[in-house]
Amino acid sequence: MSDVDAGPRDNPVPSDVDLRRVWTGVAAEVWRREPGPLERLAGQLLRSPGLARALLTTPSLVVPWLIASVVVLAAGAIAARGTGQPLVELVAPAVAAAGIAYAYGPGIDSAWELSRSMAVSDRMVLLVRALGVFAVDAVLGLAASAASGSAAGITFGWLVPMTAVSALALAAATLARSANVGVAAGLAGWTIMVLSGPASGGLIGYAVSNSALVLPYLAFAASCAAIVGYATRIPRGPS
Amino acid sequence: MNVELTDLTRRFGRTQAVAGVNLATGPGVFGLLGPNGAGKTSLLRMMATVIPPTSGTLRLLGRDPSGYGPRREIRRRLGYLPQSLGYYPGFTVVEFVEYFALLKEMPAAQVPAAVAAAVERVDLGSKASSRLRTLSGGMLRRVGIAQAIVNGPELLLLDEPTAGLDPEQRVQFRSLLRDLGQHATVVVSTHLVEDVGAACGEVALMDQGKIVFHGTPGELTARAEGTTAAGDAPLERGYSAVLAQSRS
Amino acid sequence: MDDDELIARLAGGDDTALRELLSLHAPWLAARLRMALPAADVEDVLQESFLAAWRGAGSYRPEGAAAGWLWGIARRQAALWLRRRGRAALLVHALAQAGPPAAADPVDAALTRADLEEAVAALGPPGEPEREVWRLLYVEDRPVAEVAELMGVPQGTVKSRAHRARRRLRAALLGGRPAAEGGPR
Repeated sequence: MSDVDAGPRDNPVPSDVDLRRVWTGVAAEVWRREPGPLERLAGQLLRSPGLARALLTTPSLVVPWLIASVVVLAAGAIAARGTGQPLVELVAPAVAAAGIAYAYGPGIDSAWELSRSMAVSDRMVLLVRALGVFAVDAVLGLAASAASGSAAGITFGWLVPMTAVSALALAAATLARSANVGVAAGLAGWTIMVLSGPASGGLIGYAVSNSALVLPYLAFAASCAAIVGYATRIPRGPS
Repeated sequence: MNVELTDLTRRFGRTQAVAGVNLATGPGVFGLLGPNGAGKTSLLRMMATVIPPTSGTLRLLGRDPSGYGPRREIRRRLGYLPQSLGYYPGFTVVEFVEYFALLKEMPAAQVPAAVAAAVERVDLGSKASSRLRTLSGGMLRRVGIAQAIVNGPELLLLDEPTAGLDPEQRVQFRSLLRDLGQHATVVVSTHLVEDVGAACGEVALMDQGKIVFHGTPGELTARAEGTTAAGDAPLERGYSAVLAQSRS
Repeated sequence: MDDDELIARLAGGDDTALRELLSLHAPWLAARLRMALPAADVEDVLQESFLAAWRGAGSYRPEGAAAGWLWGIARRQAALWLRRRGRAALLVHALAQAGPPAAADPVDAALTRADLEEAVAALGPPGEPEREVWRLLYVEDRPVAEVAELMGVPQGTVKSRAHRARRRLRAALLGGRPAAEGGPR
């Protein structure tokens, strides 16, 4: 061993120097992960770094999920151009329902019990994530819809049924504590609506194009939202 | 007093999990002993504000958690380790602890240093950048302890914290408890009697939803005198003696 | 694992290597810095030093001189720290108190020499009066009378040139803080 190696390491640590504090300070800088621009923006809009982090770690907003959504909607757009049917508008609510069911909640979040004890309440996280997923899927759906050459009324008309189907999926997922149940409920409900058009002698696009359904859709969505609110409540005082 | 429980009950359907508990405790380490199904977890969950009580009053850190504002304030000052803590497999140790530090609304500027300190405190510094899916059960438990202590809580609730820890880690953990108990109220729920004896200044024994003993570990040990209670150690015999008496 | 391998891992972003490097080298670095700084400052300087090592590991040349590399970083961080806090005079005093570098520490001696050479350059090129006085009086350790005879000037002139040389050296070593020490440059 050289003089350099032997000499320095023989010195004991001065008794008043805390090397653990030194390492903790170093580790804090080395392990620090600076939030990206999207997270910083979300933190400012939501006024909560915790909510912003929760939003960006939503299971159905991670890149593979988004890619899958884009693929499904793109396929729908291509098929719609070929067949002239409003396929994107029929598929988009189903995609959103699946995304919302997998956004958050018992059955999805393995640390759900712990999340229930957090200052940023699980309901706030649920709300922000559901809205986030809905917004992203709405934008993707609108883009696919426009690309498929649909009329403007159809392009925007499916946002209302999408709201209703998403609310159904979320309510089912929350009550059953299972994302899969939520997806199944959402898809089943939407399928019934879509097929009720041809069954009653109407078009397959009946579910998205019938303006008389707007209010019923919205009322249904509000009911499902109330169910979610009830299922995630902590009541004031004894229950 | 950081914890004040008065006639606290919790019912799940027809099952009475907690059947009228009275407790008051301040800073220090408080052990909650009892067999499986005694109601320890339900009691801890109420103290963690995860579930509301069915009846009775609960005051935590001087506040009533039934209101949204006070509940949020309590949760900022609370640390909780559930009995079974799921984890996010793709997160690293640091990411997981940091995530919950943010959800506890710690000031963002303080988070990196607090996370580093918590990770080091549970001796996981060498695994800080490892994904949770690569860790053993004992290490995952320590990750859970780290997230519970990251915000320097005034009320720390630990449900079976030593599950999966080896003997050396359990010794280190008891030392951590004693440090934390100097300034905070630490409630440790466990069925491992020796953990309680080594670290706790005060002990309560629960059975069938009720507290059947409340005192020091020494007083619990003394309850075995003059009995033929089962157990390999004095505290275990005290535990058995009290349970037998409460059930007779 | 030797230090060169640890630093190579550091350059690759391995934080466990940084932890190991710190556990191996922080004790003696702390002991050495403690000769010049209070304990709390030693902790802060060590922290900055290892962070600087983390960031600069890619520039390390593996020639078995890791200890010297780390000490160089620590010295620069100590000097930066003291300048920022206006306590450079403390360092000069403490270094004087600590005495000459031990002969058994060639790395430190080499670093001291390098630092000193830079400061001596502030005295001007060889042949300049202050530079000459410095060389004769401090490097060759001649008595004042002999230096006065060699330079062909009175002893008082030798003393005043030595005084100016010391002030310039101090200013160069401390990065320029003359006003607080009293008197013009």
